[in-house]
Amino acid sequence: MGAAANDLPIRQRLQHWVEHLTHVLPAQAPIRDFVHHNTLHGFQYLPFPEALAAAHRLTGAATYWPEARFQAAYAAGRITRDDLLQAFTDSTLEQLDQPILRALTRRDVLLASLLLPAAQGERRLDWNQREGLLANDAVFARCSVLTASNDIPAETWQESALQRWLALCARVGNQWTLRSLLEHLSGEDVLERVRTILQRHMAAHLDLGVAAWRNPAQAQGFFSAWRASAGLDLAWELDELPGVHDEIACLPADPLDVLISELGQLIPDEDLWPGYLERLALELPGWSGMFLWRDRNPARGDGTPVNMLDYLAVRVLLERLLCADLIRRLTGAPLEFDELRGYFASNLAEFYVRDALQGAPLSEDLQHRATHLLASGEGILAVDDDWQLLAEEIWQQQAVAGKRQRAVALYELLRGLEFSEGDTASLTTDDAQTLLEIAASLDPLARGQLWLQAYERHYREELFGALSANHGRHPPPASVSAQVILCMDDREEGTRRHLEEIAPTIVTYGAAGFFGVAMYWQGLDDAQRTALCPVVVRPEHLVRESARDAALGEQHAQRRENRLRWRERLYQGTRNSIWAAPALTALAAPGALAALLANTLAPVWIGDAVRRWRGQYERPVATRLQLTAEANAAPASAAVPRDGFDDQEQVDRVEAFLRSIGLTQDFAPLVLFLGHGSGSRNNPHLSAYDCGACSGRHGGPNGRVFAAMANRPEVRAGLLARGLEIPASCWFIAAEHNTCDDSVEWYDLDLVPPEFESALDTLVGQLAEACRAHAAERCRRLASAPPGVSPWQGFEHVRGRANDISQARPELGHATNAAAFIGRRAMSRGLFLDRRVFLVSYDPLADLSGQIIESVLLSVGPVGAGIALEYYFSTVDNEHFGCGSKITHNITGLFGVMEGADSDLRTGLPWQMVEIHEPMRLLVVVEQTTALLTEILSRQPALQELINNAWIILAAKDPLTATIEQYCPRRGWLPWSGSSVLPQVARSRDWFAGSSEPLAPAMLLGAA
Amino acid sequence: MIVDVLRHLPDWVWLVPGLPLLALSITGLRALLGWTSGDAAEPLTARLCSLAALGSLLFLLALDLLALLDGVPGHRLLAYWFSGSNWQGTFSYLMDALSLSLATLVALIGWLVMRFSANYLHREAGFHRFFIILSFFLAGIQLVLLAGNGLLAFVGWEMCGMSSFLLIGYAWQRPVATGNALFAFVTNRGGDAGFLLALGLAASWLGSFDWAVINQPGTLSLVNARLLVLGFVIAALAKSAQLPFTPWISRALEGPTPSSAIFYGAVMVHAGVYLLLRLSPLLAQVPDVMLGLVAVGLLTAIYAWLCGLVQTDVKSALIFATVFQVALMIMAIGLGWTTLAEVHLGLHAAWRSWQFLLAPSWLVLTRGRPAPAPAWLRQRQWLYTAALQRFWLDKLAVDLLVKPTQSFAQDARGLEENFIDRLLGDPGRGKPVHAERPLIMADGLPGRALASVSELLERLENRLLLRGRGGAAEQMLHRLGNYLRIVENLLEQPRYLMMAVMATFVVIL
Repeated sequence: MGAAANDLPIRQRLQHWVEHLTHVLPAQAPIRDFVHHNTLHGFQYLPFPEALAAAHRLTGAATYWPEARFQAAYAAGRITRDDLLQAFTDSTLEQLDQPILRALTRRDVLLASLLLPAAQGERRLDWNQREGLLANDAVFARCSVLTASNDIPAETWQESALQRWLALCARVGNQWTLRSLLEHLSGEDVLERVRTILQRHMAAHLDLGVAAWRNPAQAQGFFSAWRASAGLDLAWELDELPGVHDEIACLPADPLDVLISELGQLIPDEDLWPGYLERLALELPGWSGMFLWRDRNPARGDGTPVNMLDYLAVRVLLERLLCADLIRRLTGAPLEFDELRGYFASNLAEFYVRDALQGAPLSEDLQHRATHLLASGEGILAVDDDWQLLAEEIWQQQAVAGKRQRAVALYELLRGLEFSEGDTASLTTDDAQTLLEIAASLDPLARGQLWLQAYERHYREELFGALSANHGRHPPPASVSAQVILCMDDREEGTRRHLEEIAPTIVTYGAAGFFGVAMYWQGLDDAQRTALCPVVVRPEHLVRESARDAALGEQHAQRRENRLRWRERLYQGTRNSIWAAPALTALAAPGALAALLANTLAPVWIGDAVRRWRGQYERPVATRLQLTAEANAAPASAAVPRDGFDDQEQVDRVEAFLRSIGLTQDFAPLVLFLGHGSGSRNNPHLSAYDCGACSGRHGGPNGRVFAAMANRPEVRAGLLARGLEIPASCWFIAAEHNTCDDSVEWYDLDLVPPEFESALDTLVGQLAEACRAHAAERCRRLASAPPGVSPWQGFEHVRGRANDISQARPELGHATNAAAFIGRRAMSRGLFLDRRVFLVSYDPLADLSGQIIESVLLSVGPVGAGIALEYYFSTVDNEHFGCGSKITHNITGLFGVMEGADSDLRTGLPWQMVEIHEPMRLLVVVEQTTALLTEILSRQPALQELINNAWIILAAKDPLTATIEQYCPRRGWLPWSGSSVLPQVARSRDWFAGSSEPLAPAMLLGAA
Repeated sequence: MIVDVLRHLPDWVWLVPGLPLLALSITGLRALLGWTSGDAAEPLTARLCSLAALGSLLFLLALDLLALLDGVPGHRLLAYWFSGSNWQGTFSYLMDALSLSLATLVALIGWLVMRFSANYLHREAGFHRFFIILSFFLAGIQLVLLAGNGLLAFVGWEMCGMSSFLLIGYAWQRPVATGNALFAFVTNRGGDAGFLLALGLAASWLGSFDWAVINQPGTLSLVNARLLVLGFVIAALAKSAQLPFTPWISRALEGPTPSSAIFYGAVMVHAGVYLLLRLSPLLAQVPDVMLGLVAVGLLTAIYAWLCGLVQTDVKSALIFATVFQVALMIMAIGLGWTTLAEVHLGLHAAWRSWQFLLAPSWLVLTRGRPAPAPAWLRQRQWLYTAALQRFWLDKLAVDLLVKPTQSFAQDARGLEENFIDRLLGDPGRGKPVHAERPLIMADGLPGRALASVSELLERLENRLLLRGRGGAAEQMLHRLGNYLRIVENLLEQPRYLMMAVMATFVVIL
């Protein structure tokens, strides 16, 4: 990062380093705007396995599912031996067929080592040995003999300690900070002493609306604000750091000067600075990430200046002050880093003991003695001899432990390879050595990658089988009663399937849920406009919703304002007003108690009642869209969004969208645009359940705007001129599907011409029925839902969840998403896909040039990959990449959540959202020829990054035949030839009834 | 007719804390037997505990009905616990307007929180643990509210403290959570010491723990009454997080949201206020203590208000708001307005439980920034820093309470390791007593004594051999000198100085 820019002035270089931090820190926006994105977005330029390894090195996070989970999947048949063998073949491992021993190949040995339960085996053996059960085990005895001879330690402990110490020192600045080194040595984390107050300062600076009183020096930036407070802080004295006050008083005013001079004092070697700052920022990733996000998005804050360098200056200053203090306590002298290196290089025994205490598994006895020695290190009993003595003993013990470990490893491996006693007896020491080396040649990351590939392959085979079996089963119905366009969202796969089962004459389409209409939206009740389009797009148009009757609208707004003002007064006044607090508390208490009672006993009833009362008080008003721009309006731009679209723009959008989903003829009487959003209560992560293609908002307004456009005679005339005829016998209508309680809200019903009313009634009924059936299907994965619910019961259950303030899992979101199909619905219609597949409509036969698929891939690829990868990483290491359990979450500054009242800011998905997720990469199957796809891939760097680096897996299904080919970045297109025999059932319900686990695809015969 | 049936109820009032205890025993037993794994085990635990809480609530409602129809049952002595020379511990309950109204409210909130938690904690590793502790708390708080004497109330008091400690440390994997749990526990011991002191004084001066006896005017001299009430006041201030004990409560927010709601928002934080209300006749005898209460309440209110203004996370903001209003109640009691305090307590508990349970909704419930701090305050940098640091009470408490306690523990361990263990000896750790006779090994005093006896006999045989400089004797003296230095070092530490002073006090008292 800094190599090319090394000759720039230091200030510019600092800017570069901060820029680099955007790649490694969490990039989550304030929680109201939660949008799924690849957690490791900064590593996307690397191939998937390498990126995961790099992230693991950088953060220490696990990047694959724990092996125990994979092994459980193996035991449950979700991964087979075949899958594993294929994973070996697909891997870059070499000489797999090389014979090792008798009939054994390298592959066999690796496979056996992969199937060994990690660590667990050793503990069991340990126990067996202690209980004397292994004493008579001839195989184990033989293993001990075989591994005993080749483990004479080559060096003394002094040599090994010195090497280790120098290696640890070398980590400072690229893997560690000085603080981490000192923590390793002493077990004391100096950051812990100031972390709490530092977090409070940061939260106060970034706060978006909880605190009533802000730092008086806040307007001058974080550094000045912190300095103004820290200079008056008495905590330094209480912490026995008396010199700090003077140091803070003497600091230069410019944080950059502070940063540079402190870095120089901390680490003299300038080359290490960028790495050091990176490490420092990663120590509180959540807070650092939010600081950086606000630094990069000044417009999205509240006007407080936020500069990442301010933050880094404070961190570096604190690091230097606190580390200096600890070094003094540790060594008795105020040493610089270089001197510290010298100190422990000459006190190797002490280092060795300290190091062993932190890292190596010591016996309890030794551990106890080492702790004791450390504790008395500053006292009068510790003498050099004690350190020496203990170091010697630890060395001895570790030699013995190492020997036993190897014997155990060999023993387990031989069992895995099914060696008999006789086989073992004929093994030579060299054989044993070879076997162990091969088994150890796979590091945990490589093992994780192999397991992941096998796991993905198993599901992929099922999907390919289903697609291939389903080929040609579904010619389009002769007469279509309605066309329904939904979001590509994996959750809507269920809605579509049930809708088609209930009404075979309905045809469904899927597309990114903003329906090609990127816009700002300001609803009647919205105080501000919000962007309803993918996050990367900056809309150029604003659409407002206004009351049809202005006077009624005025009254509505007035009453609503009254209500909100009282609510505000209640919630804010009871917490920080002196006089009003007790009075308001007294006033609200009976109501609160009643509300709590009602919410506990009858959440649905009270939810409905409150909505009804609210509506009655505020007066419901019919609304209209301010859709069309005035004739003389200025041209639209991202900088100055214009009110409304002009006719030309409307025609463009409608045409482009309809062509992209392949709906250009045979329009049904009704075309429904069904956006989606999710409504739940008491849920800070609310927007993580909403439509990802609408920046984590509800997508209903986009559908409504689209339908309104397509119904305008001017637009239809414009479309006709471009060869797209929408007959007068066709009406567009819009609605929003609530994915949490499976309800549907219809828009602009009062505008529907009378001739469509009966068709509309039928459609409303069919959709409601489909939603209920869908609710029942969802219930099978919800532990608190009764088993085998009917559609109505299921619907009641999900409604209860949505209204329940105590529900930490209102719905399961995108959990278990695994694949995306881009093609005609005929490809997947009549398949049970378990709500795991994103479905994007695309007609390959109308797109000979590949233009449409190119843009679809460009928009769908990153969105789908973002969702799938965020779920992947939050699942494999929820502690690092996710935000832990919801139940201790505490909203902070209106921009994030902490655990309890004193923790790092937690980013990513909560554990409740991912607990049933199956972490795998997204498999994208495109219905198009491989030649065309290759061509697109070769000219689109964004797709190359995603596909060639294997962040998603690409496959192609031929539009005319059942042929499926999978794309391999190394070997190109590989034709698939697997079994396409599929279980067949009449309806979805017959397949999922009684099961609460993920289900394999099935063929639905009843659905025509 | 109904009244006749209801009249038997007061004799069964022990069921109110008893039912949650029963539920927790069954759940605990199931956990011990390993019957609490998987989703299937959850509903039983949750239903059992909510049923017990509901049972308590219905029982109290029936009692309330009786009280309305037939007057409050008053003091009931149900059983003897134990008795000393001139005093006795009893299971007696006091059912008057104060205890019945608050017990009913607490039972209602308790039941609602139980119901809330069943969904909220689904599939948490600590699901059953949480319900066990929450039931334990409900039993404890009902004992505090309904007990007819101080001793029984103290048992409940301790149960509340214990369960609070366990739930702050609910996420025990997080060092911050366990550290804060320990902090809260240690700080609360200060209050418990006050409670115990008061009970001890009551026993020796009054011969009874009954509230009625303690509250009886004219039985105690003013000085004695003051000392007695001070003990209780300290207990109340600690439990209700008034100055100087406030820091523990702001560090107690590590548990799951429902536990934060019931402990620190709604119920337990009011236990101190209740204790003072219970003792209001006694308080009335010592106006200077009441004045002190007003002062403490006022200071706490100012403190909590200032700190509340700068809080940036919802739970902390709410906890300071809670402490603020509790401080107002303490002030009201100090001014003698006990009815106001009682009504305020009930209303406040109801509102805060709702507000705390809805803390995750804050993003939806509020529109934006609250009203800014008053203009005269806004620019005061020092006060801002102090409020952000919570007036450093946190750190002071750690330095004055937690650290000395930890050091005590360390010293005690050191004592055991360096002296007692060596004295007693460990098996298998024997060292040759004599370099020339490696087969005779011994460790610890008994072992060494035995070895020495045998050696002595042998020496007698071989005649005594004198040893010169550098022999065992000098080494022993050397080591003794070392130990003496350690002891001297320890005695120089302030905590032992403090202990010595405290010991002196105890002797004087």
